[in-house]
Amino acid sequence: MSDNLERLDRDGALAESLGPLAPSTRRTVLRTLAAAGLIGSAAALAGAGAADAATEPHGDVAILNYALTLEYLQSAFYTEVERIGALTGETARMARIVGAHERAHVRMLQGVLGSKAVAGPTFDFHGATDSEDAFVRTAVAFEDLGVAAYKGQAPRIASPAYLAAALAIHANEARHAAWIRRIAGIVPAQSAFDQPATAAHVVQVVNSTHFIAGRTQAAGMPGFTG
Amino acid sequence: MAEELTGAVEHAASRRAVLTAATLVAGGIIVGGVGAPAVGSGSRLGDAEILNFALEMEELQAALYEQALQHAGLTGELAQYARVVGAHERAHIAFLRQTLGSRAKPAPAFDFGDAVTDPDRFAAAARVLEDLGVAALDGQAANLTRPSLAAVATIVSVEARHAAWIRDLVGELPAPTPSNPAEGAARVLAAIRRTGFVKGAS
Repeated sequence: MSDNLERLDRDGALAESLGPLAPSTRRTVLRTLAAAGLIGSAAALAGAGAADAATEPHGDVAILNYALTLEYLQSAFYTEVERIGALTGETARMARIVGAHERAHVRMLQGVLGSKAVAGPTFDFHGATDSEDAFVRTAVAFEDLGVAAYKGQAPRIASPAYLAAALAIHANEARHAAWIRRIAGIVPAQSAFDQPATAAHVVQVVNSTHFIAGRTQAAGMPGFTG
Repeated sequence: MAEELTGAVEHAASRRAVLTAATLVAGGIIVGGVGAPAVGSGSRLGDAEILNFALEMEELQAALYEQALQHAGLTGELAQYARVVGAHERAHIAFLRQTLGSRAKPAPAFDFGDAVTDPDRFAAAARVLEDLGVAALDGQAANLTRPSLAAVATIVSVEARHAAWIRDLVGELPAPTPSNPAEGAARVLAAIRRTGFVKGAS
């Protein structure tokens, strides 16, 4: 089983993105994803959305609300780490600038969605904002996950204007990911092709962290739970 | 020259970039005299034009890294950057050539001047070309059919990572704006021409 997982996760990006999780949680997530056929290189070029259409958000509003929920998570994470003040030097600078970007993404998506915007959940980061080391590991995982999440949804967005906005955020998240990876001392661009992630994968990873303390739900979008 | 190019790209940061009916000129050769498809209704012809446009950007970047590694005496993390990113660009070229098949255009000839002999000039050129590459791909995304968009999306975020990495190395903010700028084909091609890197295009 673990041999199969290693083969599926060839460049280690997935295992690495799950790094902050407890080993037992990580194993469970990887097993579940592998069993569901959600990880593997084939999904990348064929359009990941088609792979498990049943669990993906349907329609632009649901997709943007899914993105908004991820932005709420990132935004709250950076805002809290800045408030607690555990970071220094370049890491503190990164958190301050990237936090402002994530808050701007929240405002962008809320502006586009108007009254259809899902409300922000409450969060509990379980110590990930209390120390520089925990912050860096979590930020690497969530920036890489954010890139993969936007990439998984972009081909499924119908409106050209929404697509352009999503891609502008997607590339910005990739810059964040490269920046925090360099701070963490790992290669900023780990492979020639960044793989997409399905919403099912992203929701499962987010839920396994238990960072979302209060439930958020909107019609037609995947369920994040506490 | 690098400053001028950077200015041109950043000037249009907020523009919603679309491939207009303007012809797609690459390397001074008109590769697409046919009007591009309307936004949101991609076609195979549009995809081939856009993927060839992407291919030329990749050829330009790959050649810069290859020649700089040979002649610029790169050391430390800048050398690591050039090796890692150069390998990525070659993988992108292989992918795009395979996708395009017989429709793939041959690589133009390049002349990088001191950008491949001087480490600082190399870093400045790499920073400009990487930022430009991300803006160029994002500017065309809405014109691609969805399967091609899914494929190009696996490349564009890697280019954004490259851009952030080299910006950090030259002391610039890796992520300067919340929304990454997109750029239309005409302005991208004008920016490439202004570098003087593509022979016969200046």
